[in-house]
Parts: sequence; C-alpha cells; structure tokens
Amino acid sequence: MLTAPEERATPAEIRKKSGESIAIRWTDGHASTFGARYLRGRCPCAQCVSETSGERLVSEEHIRPDIAIEAARTVGNYALHFSFSDGHTTGIYSFDYLRRVCPCEDCA
Amino acid sequence: MSETVITESNVLDALRSVMDPDLRRDIVSLNFVRNMKIEGGTVSFDVNLTTPACPVKDRLREQSRQAVLEHVPGVKDVRVNMTAEVRRPPAPETSRIRGVKNIVAVGSGKGGVGKSTVAANVAVSLARSGAKVGLLDADIYGPSIPIMMRSQEEPEIREQVIQPVDAHGVKLMSMGYLSGEMPLIWRGPMAHKALQQSLLGVNWGDLDYLVVDLPPGTGDVHLTLVQTVPVTGAVIVSTPQDVGLQISMKTLRMFQQTKVPLLGVIENMSYYICPHCGGRDEIFGHGGAARAAESLGVPFLGEIPLDPAIRKHSDTGTPVVLAQPESASGRAFAEVTGKLAQQVSIQAFRSVPLTIVEE
Repeated sequence: MLTAPEERATPAEIRKKSGESIAIRWTDGHASTFGARYLRGRCPCAQCVSETSGERLVSEEHIRPDIAIEAARTVGNYALHFSFSDGHTTGIYSFDYLRRVCPCEDCA
Repeated sequence: MSETVITESNVLDALRSVMDPDLRRDIVSLNFVRNMKIEGGTVSFDVNLTTPACPVKDRLREQSRQAVLEHVPGVKDVRVNMTAEVRRPPAPETSRIRGVKNIVAVGSGKGGVGKSTVAANVAVSLARSGAKVGLLDADIYGPSIPIMMRSQEEPEIREQVIQPVDAHGVKLMSMGYLSGEMPLIWRGPMAHKALQQSLLGVNWGDLDYLVVDLPPGTGDVHLTLVQTVPVTGAVIVSTPQDVGLQISMKTLRMFQQTKVPLLGVIENMSYYICPHCGGRDEIFGHGGAARAAESLGVPFLGEIPLDPAIRKHSDTGTPVVLAQPESASGRAFAEVTGKLAQQVSIQAFRSVPLTIVEE
C-alpha cells in the first residue's frame, strides 16, 4: 500500500550543517540539501500558508538572507521541526513535503 | 577410534540452517544463540527470541535441536532453552519514554468496534506470555479500560509522577482518571496536554510493550501521540462490515501520512458462536477485513468472534484471555497477540535510527 513516492521520502541520514543548511540522504540514495532561507520561505505552517485558500503568505523573498536554523529536531517518525533565528518555530516539515520541495536540479 | 571433538563453531554452522520465518535471517547471524555449553556429547544453548509471545517458538526449538543432532558429528543430546528479549527499534533517546521499548497504538475508524476490548485482551495476553506490558487508555471520549481491567481506583501521584495501577499484571493508566466522575469535555489543547502527561508523566518503569488505546477515528489525540513519541506501529480494529472498513481506511491513511508503520488489521465481531449449539454464524459478513488488509498490503492479524463470554468477562473486569484462556475467544486473542508481537519484532529490526547529526 505504500506507494512509491512515500517509500522514497524516508531519510537514511539527516545532517545539520551549523545554522546554514540541512542535508538529507534518502533511503533510495537521493541527496537533498536545503538552505536555511529556502526552508524558511517554504514553511508549511498556517501563518505562512493561508488555511482557506492555500496561498503562500510568507515566501523566500520576505526572509532576510542571513537567516539561520538555530535548532532542528525530529517529530515522531515523520517530520522535522526547525527553530529559525527570526523566532519562527511553528512549521512541521513532513519528510514527504521535504522530498517534494527538494531543490536539486533533477527535482526542480 | 578417538572421540569426535564438538566445537562451538561446528554447532553454530549447523544452526545457520535455522531461519527465523519473520525476520528471514538465520538465528546465528541474528545473534539469537547464546550461552552455549558443550559437555561430552551434550550441547546446550539458549535461543533468545525477540518476543516471549512468539508463535513459532516450539518450531524453532525443534528445528534447532534437529539441526545440531543431524549435522554435528558426536552429538548425543541437545538441550535448547528458549528465552526472549524484546528489542527496541532504534530512535533518538530524547524523544522516547525512558524504559519503554515499543509503543503500539490501537485505533479504529469508528466507535463500537471493540477496540478497547481488543487492546485490553492483547495487553493481558502479552503479559501472560512473560513480557512487561503497559496499557494507556487514551480514549478520552469513552475511557472504558478501567472497567474491563477492574481497576477504577485512581492512581497515586508521587513527586508529580503518576504511579500506574497494576491490573492483571499490566501497568495501567487511563486518561479517564484525570477527570474523576466528570465527563472529558476538552478542546484540542487540553486533550494534547492530558495525553502528553499520560505518556511522559507516568512512572512506567521498564516496558517491552506500551499498548495505547486511541479514541475512534482521527483527531487531536492521534496527532499528539505521533508527534510526542516514536510509535513502533499501529493496529487497526475493524468489524467485517464494509461501512466500518471504509472508515478504517482513513485511520490507516493517517498513520501512513505520519510514517507510523502499520502492524496489521484485526477483524473483531468476525463471527458469532451460538452459546446453545456452538454453531457459527457470520452476522456482519465475513472476511472483509482480511480482503482489505490484503489489498492494502498490510498484515491481517486474525479474527475475534462475537462471543457473549468476551462481553461478560469485560463487564466483570477480567479479560477473556485470563478468565477463559482455552475458550475459542481466548485462543483467538492469543493467536492475534502472537502475530502482533511478530510484526513488532519485524519493525524493530527493519527501522533505521532517525537522528540529526550536527556538524
């Protein structure tokens, strides 16, 4: 029942490179590196995406370039949570979502 | 003619032919063989399985004995001692409940399918097999476990830590205890806090399995559970009726989305055993849950009959696996529990640790 995209979105390794980026190596071998500003600009929380229209309210151009990921932790088995240096902490980034927004050339 | 010398490596080589049918590896490479002693022609060792509730325990014992007798020259007697140690899936130490190896969630699509009855009987059945078991009644809308386990007195609180109640060898905590006689009319944030307290603020001690009886459907309590602790896996209880199954699918999908492995589906009220003639009647149809499990690629863990004895023993506070372990229902629960424990072991072996490496 686990369809292919869900199987793919399982991390084998997660690395936080100081405050600058998060690197995920997935179980299918694919590698993704997410910059702090890229992640903050794609926060899926209800303050950043309108709950009724789905419209993005806060995107990358609203974020200062020197933003940092101050802390990262896992949420259960399925997601990551970040504390950003602008004080924003409400996003839960599921692995499915992170895989969908992988910024690498092949995925973009 | 000199005596053949039996060496440990000869015995281990012979045991490499014995496979664990669930983990699909031989018992030597799984490091199950322990404490080997060779005295003259007698070889003795432990086979340390991943659960005391293992349904293939006797088969593995016999296969191990035969393998050594047949393939190691000079062996006259083989003594196999079956032991068990429940393994924990790898997960970051900070986000789990200390001492608790596996968290098993029991859910259902709708109410009234017997989810709590199944949770109580599975927990007691695991404890009867020798495992250390906790049971958390997280069904805030209708906490019924304290009645089924005959322990309605409220737990003690020592130094702000809740001491779980001992009920039939199971450490029990119910979110119903938090409100006394009052109904739980909670908004999301209150349910969230109460569940966190019932998970993390309880002196569970060392547990092999913590069975969590969830409210029906999908909601706040489910999300809090999967966000607070790494859940080893979830079981869905369903009746054979399609309408029940349709709704259970949503619960299945919720666990999928939150990456909680699905341990399987249990069909409750599967058939009716007439107390007068012992005949079997399939009131709600039959096999619906098995078919659904198959089409979803999820293990089917078994069928529990609609038996007045299950209801009677639940109402009087002694689960049927304890009151009548040899009845058809008692055996059905024991079988389902064994299959569930196998699935937990498989998950514990399969999952990879999820930690964030700081550079």
